[in-house]
Amino acid sequence: MTADAQRRRALGQILLLAAGFLVLVAISASSVVLVNKARDASSLVVHTVEVESQISNLLLEIRRAESATRAYLLTSAPQFLTEYQAAAANIVPAADQLAKATSDNPVQVENYARLRKAIDQRLSEFSRGIDRIRDNDVATSVTVLRNGTSTEAVQAIADAGRAMRAEEDRLFAMRTAAADRAQVLASSVTIAGSGLVIALAGLSIFLVRRSARARDHAETQLRDNNVNLEATVDERTADLREANDEIQRFAYIVSHDLRSPLVNIMGFTSELEELRGDIFRRIASLARAQSAAPVTADNATDTAEPALEGPDKQLSEDFTEALGFIKSSIGKMDRLISAILNLTREGRREFEPVRIDTSELIEGIVATMAHQALEAQAQIRIEPLPAIVSDRLALEQIFSNLIDNALKYLKEGVPGDIRVRGRTKLGFAIFEISDNGRGIDPKDHQRIFDLFRRAGTQDKPGQGIGLAHVRALVRRLGGTMSVASELHHGSTFTITLPINWNVNNRNREA
Amino acid sequence: MSNPVTIIMIEDDEGHARLIERNIRRSGVNNEIIPFTNGTAALKYLFGQDGTGLDHKGNALLILLDLNLPDTSGIDILKQVKENKYLKATPVVVLTTTDDSHEIKRCYELGCNVYITKPVNYESFANAIRQLGLFFSVIQVPPAAT
Repeated sequence: MTADAQRRRALGQILLLAAGFLVLVAISASSVVLVNKARDASSLVVHTVEVESQISNLLLEIRRAESATRAYLLTSAPQFLTEYQAAAANIVPAADQLAKATSDNPVQVENYARLRKAIDQRLSEFSRGIDRIRDNDVATSVTVLRNGTSTEAVQAIADAGRAMRAEEDRLFAMRTAAADRAQVLASSVTIAGSGLVIALAGLSIFLVRRSARARDHAETQLRDNNVNLEATVDERTADLREANDEIQRFAYIVSHDLRSPLVNIMGFTSELEELRGDIFRRIASLARAQSAAPVTADNATDTAEPALEGPDKQLSEDFTEALGFIKSSIGKMDRLISAILNLTREGRREFEPVRIDTSELIEGIVATMAHQALEAQAQIRIEPLPAIVSDRLALEQIFSNLIDNALKYLKEGVPGDIRVRGRTKLGFAIFEISDNGRGIDPKDHQRIFDLFRRAGTQDKPGQGIGLAHVRALVRRLGGTMSVASELHHGSTFTITLPINWNVNNRNREA
Repeated sequence: MSNPVTIIMIEDDEGHARLIERNIRRSGVNNEIIPFTNGTAALKYLFGQDGTGLDHKGNALLILLDLNLPDTSGIDILKQVKENKYLKATPVVVLTTTDDSHEIKRCYELGCNVYITKPVNYESFANAIRQLGLFFSVIQVPPAAT
């Protein structure tokens, strides 16, 4: 499976999820809106019904007042007067309530105006009739009752009431239909949305299952690859270790076999030197015998170098010079060979991990270098260092080499300041040895770690082995080392070592 | 060395052989020195045609042995000498360039009497050989086979 396809698949799933979510949100929102709408529609229907009942109520009250008035007119019984008064008192508030309820509809407002006018007229007729009864003017009252004007008002009230009721009926039908529509819409939206969500969920499940299958397949492949990789790594490691051992043996044999002829060269050079002494003694005695009186016998066998003159002296000096060069070169070569031997021997030494108090170890090293430090006018400061598990001898060699270097390559006339710091990070201990010495040109940073290579002014004795050795040790201990330095501005060597080193680490690294 | 002890010098490098001989002579040792430049010839001489070492019965020998030989390893020669019933009492001086501690230990375990590392520095070399010569002049060497 390519990375591109994987990315596409992941993107598809995200899109699918997003779509499902969007649909859900849309359904919820539209449901809320539609439900609200349906509620509004329902409340409007209720409102219409209420208005209708109010109209009925109003008309009933008018009838009651009317019939009470009539009864009073006929009987003059005070109970009918009370009944009239109660009904009349209800009419005006009921009319006002109706006015308020229908104020939103202009048709109804107009109808109401007509109704109100008729009611007012009718009410005044009632009160006029009542008043006449009180004044005992029954005849006029009866006349009034018989009068057609009252019928007009009654007719007007009935008309207006009918009109209003018809209007409300119309509204009721309309609003009921609207409420039904809203409800149908809400439920259909909900059903459609749910269907869509279920479809999306199904698609998601399908995709998830498909990608799970792909992942299982990839996992199997990865496991296989890991197994293969481990086998390959083991094989390579074995090869490398063999090659390394081969190199070690090679270096050991070569350095041994190089040493043997060196013994000869040195030996016979020394023999030559003795011969030289003999020859020049002979020459001197011959020269003396030729030039002056015979020399005494004891003079000829004298071991001291006889005085030579002129070209003989020159010859003798040339001879000595040549032999000197040969001998110093042999000495140098011997030291180099010894160094290689030591390195290969180090390479073969088995490391033994033990718990080491690094501070104590470095204090011990510094104590042995106190004399050197005093001579170089240098102070060595040791900050608290983390304890680690490692090979003691290797650590001693690492730190003593670095501190020795720091002391060796200080700046002339500047008191040395050497600092050893340590900290831990992610299972590794990091040590820093910094000085204020002469520093190392950045172009030499790699070179100083090479065997037999040195950098800067060559005014100190050394073979160029220390740092190569230190780096080899650090690597064998599963660590790394680096240098940060600028010419004339001191150097800082940083060593990173595993806090818990064991032989297995090394074998994995080897 | 009052009794006529023969010094067997097994040294592949003729230069070394020469330097050793010279310095031994300088220390005043005048015994016969028989040089061998390879292990095969030396073994043939030491153990004779039949390989038993019977030839040297009654002879007093001292062996100077180099470990790095072209054909056999000096360790092998040392082992064979020390396992031979006629030669096992013969002093063996290992004189070699190796200063490896394992090697030294091994030689002594096999019965070597003296182990000397050849110094490259000729002063030390000559000095060591001369002292060895002086040592030769005072030690008693038993005859091979008793």
